[in-house]
Amino acid sequence: MNTASSDLHPEPDLAPGATILELRGLEKKYPGTHALKPINLDFKAGEIHAIVGENGAGKSTLIKLLTGVMPRTSGDVIWEGKPTGLSTPHEAMALGINAVHQEVVLCRHLTVAANIFLGEETVRFGILQQRAMVREAQKILDDLGFELPAHVLLGDLTIGQQQLVAAARATVRGTKFLIFDEPTAYLTRREADQLFTLIRRLKAQGVTIVYISHRMEEVFELADRVSVLRDGTYVGTRNIGETDDAELIRMMINRSIEQVYHKEKYEFGPVIVQARNLSGKGFEDVSMSVRSGEIVGLYGLIGAGRSEFVTTLYGRHAKSAGSILWDGKDVEIKSERDAMRLGMALAPESRRDQGLCLNLSVGTNLNLPIYKRISSNMLISGSQEKKHADQQISDLRIKTPTRHALASSLSGGNQQKIVIGKWLNHGARLFIFDEPTVGVDVGTKAEIYRLFGALLAQGAGIILISSYLPEVYELADTLHVFRRGRLVATHGFHTASHEDVLTQAIGV
Amino acid sequence: MSIDAPVPVKTKRNYNVLFGLTLLALLVLLWVALSLATTSFASPNNIANLLRQGSMIAILAVGQTFVIITGGIDLSVGAVVGFSTVVTAMMINAGFPVWIAILATLLVGVAIGTFHGFGIVKMGLPPFIITLATLTSLRGIGLLITNGNSISINNDAFQAFSRNSFLGVPNLFWMVILVGIPAYVFLHHSRWGRYLFSVGSNAEAARLSGVNVQRTIYMAYMLSGLCAAFVGVLLASRIGIGNPTQAEGWELQAIASSVIGGTSLFGAVGSVHGPLLGAFILATINNGANLLNVNSFWQRIITGVLIIVIVFFDGLRRRGK
Repeated sequence: MNTASSDLHPEPDLAPGATILELRGLEKKYPGTHALKPINLDFKAGEIHAIVGENGAGKSTLIKLLTGVMPRTSGDVIWEGKPTGLSTPHEAMALGINAVHQEVVLCRHLTVAANIFLGEETVRFGILQQRAMVREAQKILDDLGFELPAHVLLGDLTIGQQQLVAAARATVRGTKFLIFDEPTAYLTRREADQLFTLIRRLKAQGVTIVYISHRMEEVFELADRVSVLRDGTYVGTRNIGETDDAELIRMMINRSIEQVYHKEKYEFGPVIVQARNLSGKGFEDVSMSVRSGEIVGLYGLIGAGRSEFVTTLYGRHAKSAGSILWDGKDVEIKSERDAMRLGMALAPESRRDQGLCLNLSVGTNLNLPIYKRISSNMLISGSQEKKHADQQISDLRIKTPTRHALASSLSGGNQQKIVIGKWLNHGARLFIFDEPTVGVDVGTKAEIYRLFGALLAQGAGIILISSYLPEVYELADTLHVFRRGRLVATHGFHTASHEDVLTQAIGV
Repeated sequence: MSIDAPVPVKTKRNYNVLFGLTLLALLVLLWVALSLATTSFASPNNIANLLRQGSMIAILAVGQTFVIITGGIDLSVGAVVGFSTVVTAMMINAGFPVWIAILATLLVGVAIGTFHGFGIVKMGLPPFIITLATLTSLRGIGLLITNGNSISINNDAFQAFSRNSFLGVPNLFWMVILVGIPAYVFLHHSRWGRYLFSVGSNAEAARLSGVNVQRTIYMAYMLSGLCAAFVGVLLASRIGIGNPTQAEGWELQAIASSVIGGTSLFGAVGSVHGPLLGAFILATINNGANLLNVNSFWQRIITGVLIIVIVFFDGLRRRGK
């Protein structure tokens, strides 16, 4: 019989500051790849240790080794002074090592409570004590300050809320060492704050936190120490008080921060699309327009209606009121194909769920919107197919051995380049990018932004949705702020401060 | 960046060719072994017989594969075959020219497929359910129409077709080629084929890329219905009767052939040559087991084991070992 709550506040076995986990020459080789070169690193009990690096720097590999998901090639792992095998996930959990992953790996069809206790259910005489578990789970969630119901299905929550459930789940397992892999990628600011509170609380209880993030300000907000990886190599560790983001970025890449948000101004041309008092599911009475050569940023919290607005514009959902003008003419957009025919392109929010056919080849994914154009009499022209795919692969610097490689074999940043790249051949005039840089490293971000510039130079217009304020703030010529389904404010480039925009989005 | 560095990735194309060759090698191996083990296997008569046995399942398996690639399943094909024998027999006996009888039967098959598409796309039913419903009700409709009796076909020329050969190859096997080549071109060289894969891989991504997902699903089931109706015509010719209870369990043989041929039941993975080879491997096992006097019950067990072994090794290789 299990009573999960007894593990909630484990007594720290080690004095804070003592080394809980030490890596000696840990390395991982795949056939053909040296994913992690020998690394020496120590983690102290009760510290928040951030790990930063670009995509492909070896962070994911390190997590997989620490959680026993895959065995190391060589090196030693010393846990509380004793060498340990750490070759299975079970072994890692038995030691008290847990991880909260970026993509939630829980069961969407079970309740929140069932997920929290999955694998450690309360059972009496072989019968699940469901009500007791819901009560227990609710107590845990309330204790953590998450305003989440324990009895609803996990799938009914937003991705951000699911992430919090995943964090709650990790805390009830006698965890001494907790890894967060990009936990805030899908969180609203408020949810992120709840998570940070939880992390600080765990730290106070003596839990060691490993925090992996692309967002520098979070690292500086939370971490005690920060380690940098680059190209599978350990670059160094700094105390957070003795470094700044300029130094960290220099360590991660050899590029300065100004080069990331590289923005050139283009002449604005005529209005391409205009929404007039448009309403639909999740948003109301939104009016805006996009001109040729312009980036229109939509900022707001997740669920503020930005994605719903653009998917309605794109014909995915029916509008309930208002009108859409394309080149000044009233248009009815009834389906995605109508939108594409007009010249719109949408790179959706979630690459895994909406953006990519993962088990198809890179080439097929890149050509998917244009097969009509590159086939005659139903038959696909092999040479055209090759030409278009190879051109995108080299233009976008997609790192793939050939266009025949499966999309699933690429890193996240390169997958995102496919999601964007497939529209470049299509010749659209309005590009909608919904969270284009979630989970993408600084280097790839810079490349994606450079792409925006190329599109604008061709006379296209861009709608950019982002929950990451610096991104829309630095890139958008016109910045619209959404709150609860309404467009609440509009700013020009740098005409409002970060604080103003944030305040309008949150609505305090 | 280490993870992004060129990794030796098995590309899909190489993989498909390799897998096809493996199946072909397995088939040849079976044939060689059976030729050595029995005196009768390699006889022209037996080979012709084997080709006839395998042909009809092979055509069914091709249609089935289109559906499975979209992530669906068509359980109705056996029932459609049985029902189609009835349609063909009744039309021929009613005095219609054979070509009209065949055309009408094929249209019935397409109509049944359209109904499946409608159930899936418009009514939101899972493919398993809607085709299962057709499986049972179509047999019932056939029995109602025929009152439970077989209809003998009064047309010798029609029946002779399935027994005759052309250039020494049974006509039924030519039908496999007749279906197989357009099917191959369609699946691997037309954009509709590409759309089948994209829908099976990620319907949402396909839709957002401008693929007409609904039409693609309709198409897959219509093609499967068409193949099944065609097999019904061939079967009517072969047995000379129309009987709605014929082709019992053929849907499972078609699915088995498809899966042995490398089609993934999760969708987005499959070919035309694979299921064809799969069907003839199954036919060879049955034929060989008969010749070797193996209890026919064992044939079913062997088929089951074969499915597990092939799919297991296929999975191992797909995971990159």
